[in-house]
Amino acid sequence: MTSLLNALNAGKTSLLTNQKSIEITGNNIANVNTPGYSRQTAQLSNVPSLNFGNFFIGQGVTVSDVSRDYNVFINRQLQSKTIDYGEETGKSSSLAELERIFNVSGSNLAGQINDFFDAWQQLAANPSGQVERDAVIQRGQLLGGAFASITNELDTIEQNINSEIVAGVSTINKQLTEIAQLNERIHLVETSGQSANSARDQRDLIIKDLSETLGVQTYPDNMGMICVQLPGGQPLVLGGTAATISTVTNGTDVNLQLNIAGATRDIGLDNMGGKFKGMFEMRDVFMEGLRDDLNTLAVDLSTAVNTEHVAGYGADGVTGRLFFDDISALPPDQEASRNFKVALTDSSQVAAAGNPEAAPGDNENALRIGQLESSRKVNGTNETFDTFFSQMVATVGIEAARNDLALSGAKDATIQLQNLRDGYSGVSLEEEMIDLIQFQRGFQSSAKFLSTVDELMNSLIQMKS
Amino acid sequence: MKATQGTTYRMLGSRLNDISLQLEELRKIGVTGKKLNAPSDDPAAIRPVFNTRKQLSNVDRYLDTMGKSLDTMQATDGHLKHVENIMQRAKEIMTNAINGTLNDEDRTVLADEMAGLRKELIAAANGTVDGKYLFAGYQQDTTPFVQNSAYDPQLYDPNDSSTWPYLYQGDENATSLEMTPGELVQVNLTGNDLFFGTSAWDPANPANNSTESGRYDLFLELTQAEEALRSNDQAAMQTSLSDLEGAAEQNRRLRAQLGNQADRVDATISYQEEVRVDLKQILSRYEDADAIEAFNNIIQQETAFQAALSVTSKVSQLSILDYL
Repeated sequence: MTSLLNALNAGKTSLLTNQKSIEITGNNIANVNTPGYSRQTAQLSNVPSLNFGNFFIGQGVTVSDVSRDYNVFINRQLQSKTIDYGEETGKSSSLAELERIFNVSGSNLAGQINDFFDAWQQLAANPSGQVERDAVIQRGQLLGGAFASITNELDTIEQNINSEIVAGVSTINKQLTEIAQLNERIHLVETSGQSANSARDQRDLIIKDLSETLGVQTYPDNMGMICVQLPGGQPLVLGGTAATISTVTNGTDVNLQLNIAGATRDIGLDNMGGKFKGMFEMRDVFMEGLRDDLNTLAVDLSTAVNTEHVAGYGADGVTGRLFFDDISALPPDQEASRNFKVALTDSSQVAAAGNPEAAPGDNENALRIGQLESSRKVNGTNETFDTFFSQMVATVGIEAARNDLALSGAKDATIQLQNLRDGYSGVSLEEEMIDLIQFQRGFQSSAKFLSTVDELMNSLIQMKS
Repeated sequence: MKATQGTTYRMLGSRLNDISLQLEELRKIGVTGKKLNAPSDDPAAIRPVFNTRKQLSNVDRYLDTMGKSLDTMQATDGHLKHVENIMQRAKEIMTNAINGTLNDEDRTVLADEMAGLRKELIAAANGTVDGKYLFAGYQQDTTPFVQNSAYDPQLYDPNDSSTWPYLYQGDENATSLEMTPGELVQVNLTGNDLFFGTSAWDPANPANNSTESGRYDLFLELTQAEEALRSNDQAAMQTSLSDLEGAAEQNRRLRAQLGNQADRVDATISYQEEVRVDLKQILSRYEDADAIEAFNNIIQQETAFQAALSVTSKVSQLSILDYL
């Protein structure tokens, strides 16, 4: 038994379905520039047919689900590449600063060291000259200033890293809570049989962000929730509960702690990834190495000059004076490079003479100190003072060059993967426009069909009158 | 897989970004003329660059020092020449006195001239450059030679400098300066070596000072020559003549020695000047950009940038909406 009313009903489902599809297409177009949005499509299926006598008659069409274009493989690739990218970005800003401090211009620390010994050589040529004596002390003070300014600049970089860490942590905590909430919502929505598309998109976006900052790893459970953990395996989000990260200040350094379920654990360098790992590595490993080298240089230079200076005689005939303050055995909270200071107060104390008479023409000790520049090897190395420093500059240069290369590589890789992801999940306007035409035609045909049925019914009604 | 608006613009954006960054880098090279602007530009070049800079600053210092030393040496040579003339004249006087038949007045005139020469000699021996005594060793501010008021010809003892006609107040230390790395060159002569004929000098204990055998105390020779003239002692005059000859020879020898050193300094100066040019070349090879190459690269990048820009503008002109 067929019925025109059945046909009307089928036409109605078609109208509604095409309208729904147009709505979804419209939503896709609206989100063409939304980051992390995955294109959605209506899954159409026919309404189960009914058996009328010997025939199965279709009952129209319905939207069974709205699904999103999504590829787990690409998304996980993207996530892991983002970690590399994050690690290099964490290093790049401090490296740019370091390159400025350890620069290649003639006025850097190596230049100051040259100038200092040059002043001694000049003094050797005119040991009784007041100007030359003053110059030696001034050059010594400038050298001390250069050491101190590098130390201060290193401090500033560390402080900047620390404040970036503190600022980053509050964002991370917000994101962790958000993931936990999204987990709950997705679970709730999907137990009712629907797909929580936008919530999943949002969660992916946050996870990508977290990968970049903290290098997190994720795995899904069977309830549609995603567990987030640190590279070391410590959990950050488990289902609907999120851990919080707090910062603790240790001396001048800021470190991270994980608070989960009432317990507190330190997060070490091994348990981090991404930008934070880059920043911590710069602060605790790379810059610490530079500081050690700078202190070694300061201690060795001052000790070498002092040893010779103590043996010489000032213009007043006094021997045994230190030229620089003794910084070889400072208490642990004092940095040698910051305390590199000239101990002499008067130019007559400069020990240019090598004999007790301290005759005005006696330049023996000034010659010996001047020669330290090329003869003295920094303790435990085969480097003179300035090549020791050039080694430090080269270290910075090598690391900065490596970072440049790695950063542009990681950036290219993430851009390509992002494009791959968008090529799979993104919204193409052309595609949407064609879909729009398709559904428009479907809608128009259904309308035509309905008006035809209406005409048929009209004919039937006319038959009676 | 499809090209979406997002992928297209992301690709274009990152490419434009890359090119403009490279362009900026190239322009920096073009403007500064240096290819080594930051340590990361060429980490391997840093060590040689720093090293070369240090050597350059050292060479500048050596050149400066050598220039000054050469001045001192030339001034010293002037004084030595004067000393040579004095000794020459003293010999002439003595020869005149021995050969000629002179009466007492003539000899007194000659003896007076001899005394005058001695005064001239002390003026030369106390010569200064730049306010510093040339022949005083390290004691640059002390007048090196003074007349010994306690001098008595009868008490003269060559092994006790306090009995000598003139006293030396300087010391035995000649000034050495660094001419090339690690190499010291003696740039002056000490008064004791030049005028007293002894290379060692103990100012504290006069009994330790004696004129070395075969060498001469110039002041003593002139003093004794004057004494011989005044006392008309022929034998003493003969001895004095040969001693004066020896003293003049001692002065010539030391003058030649100093001249050799001056020559060496002179040669080292021109050598170091060449080294300086070489070092500058080395530094330039590491630091400086090849201008032609730099500008070629800039033009090449600019072309790429223009192409990327025009593609970007074309993309926005093309839309499906224009065809529907």
